[in-house]
Amino acid sequence: MMASLFIVSKDIPQWLAAMAKTRKVFATQRESGAIIFKPYDPGREVVFERESVTSCKEAVFPQTKVLFSYFVKKNPETGETAGVAIEESLNKPAPQAVVFGTRPCGTKGFLTFDRVFDCDRIRDPYYTSLRERTAFITLACDRPGATCFCHWVGGAPDDPKGSDALLTPVEGGFLVEAVTEKGEELVNEARSLFAEADEKRREEGAAVRDKAKGMLTPKPDLTDIGPALEKRFRDLDFWEDMTAACVSCNMCTYLCPTCYCFNITDESDGQAGVRLRTWDACMSQQYSLEASGHNPRPTRAHRMRNRVNHKFWYHPKEYGGVISCCGCGRCVKHCPGSVDIRRILLTALERKDEDAE
Amino acid sequence: MSDVGGKELRIIGFLCNWCSYGGADAAGVGRFSQPTDLRIIRMPCTGRVDPLFVLKALVSGADGVLVSGCHPRDCHYSEGNYYARRRLEVLKRLLPMLGIHEDRFHYTWVSASEGARWQQVVTRFTERIHELGPMDSLDPELAVCAIRELGGENGQADQPAPASGE
Amino acid sequence: MSQLTELKEAIRKALPDLDLVLGWREGYDALHAPPYHIRRQEDLEHLVFGPMCVNNLASQLMHLRGKKVGIIVKGCDARSVVELLQEKIVNRESLVIFAMPCKGVLDVKKIRRALDIDHAREVHFHNGTIEITSGDKTSSVELKDVLADKCLRCHYPNATEYDHFIGEPVEPRVSAEEAAADPAMEELAGMDLTERFAFWKTHMNRCLRCYACRNSCPLCFCRDVCLADSRDPHWQSQETSVREKWMFQMIHAMHLAGRCTQCGECERACPVGIPILLLKKHLNAVVKDLFNYEAGIDPTATPPLFTFKVEEENIKEIEL
Repeated sequence: MMASLFIVSKDIPQWLAAMAKTRKVFATQRESGAIIFKPYDPGREVVFERESVTSCKEAVFPQTKVLFSYFVKKNPETGETAGVAIEESLNKPAPQAVVFGTRPCGTKGFLTFDRVFDCDRIRDPYYTSLRERTAFITLACDRPGATCFCHWVGGAPDDPKGSDALLTPVEGGFLVEAVTEKGEELVNEARSLFAEADEKRREEGAAVRDKAKGMLTPKPDLTDIGPALEKRFRDLDFWEDMTAACVSCNMCTYLCPTCYCFNITDESDGQAGVRLRTWDACMSQQYSLEASGHNPRPTRAHRMRNRVNHKFWYHPKEYGGVISCCGCGRCVKHCPGSVDIRRILLTALERKDEDAE
Repeated sequence: MSDVGGKELRIIGFLCNWCSYGGADAAGVGRFSQPTDLRIIRMPCTGRVDPLFVLKALVSGADGVLVSGCHPRDCHYSEGNYYARRRLEVLKRLLPMLGIHEDRFHYTWVSASEGARWQQVVTRFTERIHELGPMDSLDPELAVCAIRELGGENGQADQPAPASGE
Repeated sequence: MSQLTELKEAIRKALPDLDLVLGWREGYDALHAPPYHIRRQEDLEHLVFGPMCVNNLASQLMHLRGKKVGIIVKGCDARSVVELLQEKIVNRESLVIFAMPCKGVLDVKKIRRALDIDHAREVHFHNGTIEITSGDKTSSVELKDVLADKCLRCHYPNATEYDHFIGEPVEPRVSAEEAAADPAMEELAGMDLTERFAFWKTHMNRCLRCYACRNSCPLCFCRDVCLADSRDPHWQSQETSVREKWMFQMIHAMHLAGRCTQCGECERACPVGIPILLLKKHLNAVVKDLFNYEAGIDPTATPPLFTFKVEEENIKEIEL
C-alpha cells in the first residue's frame, strides 16, 4: 500500500473529471431522494454521505447485457429464411471504468462474483471483460447504520479487500490510500490534487476507522450457521414465520451486491433480435417454475429458504467456507416488509439443536 | 408517401370485425381515397380492445392509435362497445398525464355501411397525427433497435423501421 | 385500558376460531414494524400498533385464501379490504376485521432526511412530535413533517367495514375537498406535455423492475401470473429499458383504474423513489369525474369499469 495522501473535499469533482477523460466513471448521485449509481455527469453533485440504495453491481454485471444480436435474412422473392447474421457483443471493446464511492461491503461483493464467474471451472468472458477494466475507489464507513452487519460475515467498515483505492473521511477531506497498482495509477494521473497526509491526519483517519468499528453491535458466531440452516430445512413453519412480511418482490436480490443469478432470453422484433442476459431473482415465483407447470419452490417460504441457504450454507459449502453475503444490509433497509435476514440467521442458530418435526 | 403529405407515419387501427372493418372495406369498394398511414388490426369487438393494446402500440413506436367499433346499441354482442367506451374514455384522459397528446388516440363508431364516414374518420385522424408529428423517441439506445443496422448492411433496408423511433 | 390491550383482548377471544391474525410486530429498530402472523396466544406479546405500522396487511389476503383469517386494519387498509370483498377475492365469512382508528403513519424516508439518525433505539410520540433516541442522542421532529403524504390528506381514518372497532373513531385530518388538493399532482398538472414526458422518462430510467410496487399492492393479486412476466403473449421484453419499465407502470395503473384505494404501498415500496402513485391518483380523479365513484367504500358496489350505462352522463358522444 502506498503512503497516505490527502485530498480536500472540494477537489473530488476535479479528480472525477480527470478520471472521466479516459474512462467511464460511475458515481453515486441523488435522484428523487434515493442515492444511486449513475454514470458521472459533471453537472450533477456526487453524493456519498450515506450508503447508496443500488449497489455498484451494475458496473460489472449490468442488469441487461446483450450477448449477441441477430438478424434473420429472408429471401425477398420466396420469403424463405436465407441465413442469420450474428454480431457478437464481446467484439465491441469495453472502455476502462471506475466505480467511485462504493462502500467496502459493496466492493467486496465482486469477490463473490469472481468465485463464480472466474474460477478454475469457468471463465465467463462477458463478466471478466468488464471486471478487468473496472477499478473501485471505496469509501470507508465512518458510522455504520442500523442495518449494517459487514462484521458478521468477515468484513469491516474499512476493509480494503477488492478495492483499488480506499478513502477515509477526515476533517475537510479524505485520506487516500492506493491498494493496488490500478489505484495508484488513478491517483497519479491527478497527482497535483493530492497532498502527503501528515502524521496528524493519519492519526485522525485511524481514529475515524476505530470509532466506526467501535459502533458495530456485537456479532454472533456464524461458524455453525450451515448445520443450523440444515436443521431447519424441512421446517416450513419456521420459514413461513420468517417470511410473513415478504411480498416476494425482487428488490432484495436486485439491490444485493452478491446476488449473481441471471436469466437468458431471446428478444426478437420481427426479423431482428438480441440474446440478453438479465438479472434474475430467486424470490420470484417464475425463477423456479418448470416447463411442466410444476414449481419446486411454490411459496415465499420456499424461496426465502433458498436465498438464505444459498448465501450461508450452499455457497460456503461449494466455495471453501466463504459466506456469499457482504453484510451491506440493503435487503433489510429497503425491504417493503422490513424482512430482516439477521433475525432469520439468529433464530436458526438459536434453534440449531432442535430437530424439525 | 402519405396522402396527407410528408413522410408516412405509423398509425394503428383496432377495428371491430362486425362494423368498422366492414366499413373500411366498403370505403375501399366505393373507391373513396384514403391516407395510407393506417395499419388495421381486426378485432372481434371493441370490447376485446384492452386499453393496454393502445399504450403498448404508443410506447413501441406508433404515432397514433385509432379504435373503431359499432355504434352504441348496435354491438354484435349487445354490450361490448359499452364496456369499451368506459375503458377507452379513461385511457384517453390518462394520456396527457403521461406526456402523450390525447389526440394521438381516438375512438369512434363506424358501421359496416358507412364507407363515407370511414373515409372521413381516417382522413381526419391521419391529418391530426401529421399535425402532431412523430412520437418522441423513448429509448434511442434500445438493444433490439441497434440490431436493425445488421439487417441494413445485408441489403434488407426495406425492413420495417425500428420499433421505437429513429 | 389502552388501545393495544383492548386489541390484544379482542384477538385473544377470536383466535381459537381463526387460522391466523395478520398484525405488526417490533422490527429491527423502533421505526419499523414488519407484518407477522399471530397463530398462538403467545405470539400476541410481540404485537404492536402505532404510526410505525405502515404496511397494508390486506396485501397478504390473496395468499391466504381458503384460510380463516383475522386482519388488523387502519382506515386506508380497510378500503383495500372492501375492494377485495367487492371483487370476491376474499370471502367476508372467513374474515374477521379488527379496525384501529388511525392518526397517520410514518414515512421513514422523510425521517431519514429530517434527522441524522443511525439506529432508532426508542421512539416516543407526544403532542404532535416524534422523539427518536439514536445512540446516546435524542432528537425530535414535528409529526406532521414526517407522516406519509397520504396521511396528511386522509379523510378515511376510520375503517368503514369491520367486526371489532377498537377505541373511539378519530376525526378526519382534513375535509374531502382539502384531501383532493395535492401539491405533487398540481406540480405534474402544471407541466406541459413535453415536460411530463421527460419527467416520466427520467424517473422510469431509475426503475429496477424489482416489482416491489406490484407485489406490495393489495389489489395486484395476479402477481404470480402477471402479464409483465408472460412470455406468451410476449407483453414485455426482459430488456431494462425505459420502454419496458414505463409500460409496466401503465399496465399497473390501468389495471387499477376504478379499483385503486390510494393506500400508497406501491410508492412506499419503491426503493428508488419513483412517484408512481401519481398515475393512480390521476386515474382516480378521472374515475370520480366520469362515474362519480370512489373505490373501497361500499362492499356491495360494482367497480365502474366492470359495468356500464347505455346512456353515459359524463362521456361526450363521438361525432366523428
